[in-house]
Amino acid sequence: MGLLEATGFVLDKFESFVGVNFWTMIFAWVNLLILYLAFKKFLFGPIKKMIDDRQKEVDDIYSDAEQARESADRLKSEYEEKISHATEESEEILKKAVRRAQLKEEEILKEASEQAARTLERAEEQIALEKKQAINDVKNQVSAMAIGIASAVIERDVSEDEHRELIDDFISNIGNE
Amino acid sequence: MDLQVSGPKVFFVLPWDLPDTTIFTMKNLITQTTITLFVTTIILIILAVTLTRKITKRPGKVQVLLEKVVGMLYNLVESTMGKHNIRFAPYIGTLFVSSIFGSVIGMTQLFRSSTADLSVTMAWALVTTGMVWYNNIKNFGLKAWLKGFTEPIFVMTPMNIVSEIASPLSLAFRHFGNVAGGSVLTALIYGALSLLTSALLGWLPGILGEIPFFQAGIPAVLSIYFDLFSGFVQALVFSLLTMVYVSGACPPPEELPEDRRAILEKREAKKAKKANN
Repeated sequence: MGLLEATGFVLDKFESFVGVNFWTMIFAWVNLLILYLAFKKFLFGPIKKMIDDRQKEVDDIYSDAEQARESADRLKSEYEEKISHATEESEEILKKAVRRAQLKEEEILKEASEQAARTLERAEEQIALEKKQAINDVKNQVSAMAIGIASAVIERDVSEDEHRELIDDFISNIGNE
Repeated sequence: MDLQVSGPKVFFVLPWDLPDTTIFTMKNLITQTTITLFVTTIILIILAVTLTRKITKRPGKVQVLLEKVVGMLYNLVESTMGKHNIRFAPYIGTLFVSSIFGSVIGMTQLFRSSTADLSVTMAWALVTTGMVWYNNIKNFGLKAWLKGFTEPIFVMTPMNIVSEIASPLSLAFRHFGNVAGGSVLTALIYGALSLLTSALLGWLPGILGEIPFFQAGIPAVLSIYFDLFSGFVQALVFSLLTMVYVSGACPPPEELPEDRRAILEKREAKKAKKANN
């Protein structure tokens, strides 16, 4: 027996084909445990985390997009509502304005026609007055002229006061003829 | 021709007086399998660390592949064990990778497949059994679990006990047998091809007559089946069965009896409280 064999090292011994070695089992457990811990820490842990993180990110992006879409939809419907309100309002305003304008127009027209009527009346009055005045003037002049002529014809003074009635008759007859 | 079918080579024997029989030994401290186990562990840790050192939100090619594989693992665990058992995924993944790598490393001829040693597959199968028992007791209570052995009728008790013992044994032997049997078959084929070569081409002069020409090519094709395919299938079977057994002990919380659920929830709450402090 050599020195190597004496320390426990052997070079030509084989185990049986089917058999259980206690120490190999222990080493198998130890290695399985080491490998399990190492894989959990270095392989499955980080990679699973990465996959989950990415999945979460994708989910977040999708849910964000969904939220954005929802808020956009909400805003859009709000706008549409507002716009339809605005149209109604503007129609209302327009209608009111038109009505007011019509009222105003009627008022103005009425006033104008009243004024015109008033003016016309006044003008007619004036015309009548002036006509009367003119007639009086003419009457006076004609009577003076008639007196003159009559004086000349009868060669004597015709007193205006005395023959007032006569003259007036005369003039009236002239106007009628 | 001399063909030996043996277990792993022993490198270090303990000098003390320990049990040492053909089927169970405590004397052989370090064997080929021990070396393989540590080598695979170191290689796999190095791989894991280097591959995940630079993972980013925007993945490169390697990261896409890794994520695909990890995602597949989590999906498999979720579909087999349920969403509430997703915490077992890292263990199942570790088991699967250890198994497939332990089988395939034998192809290098530098190391003996670790799964071609019954000790290793037995150790893994006992972990599965341990998980099943632990979760059964945790979820259903010791009394209910023990009572489960007498169901459906009391006479069935021995059968139930046998089946409880048989499941890790069958798990261990299935995996071991497939991988070890594959290596034995490969060795047999190598031997047969060597014989065939010497029978057919032995007349060639000099050294030419001693070269086993037929050993080139044919074993490679068989190796694809016995080492790669079988290694993959056995790793998958072992992981799947582990998942099935463990998920049997971990039903969804809503399927547990009312009183057990209350106890478990109380325990969870206490744990959460402790974690917060």
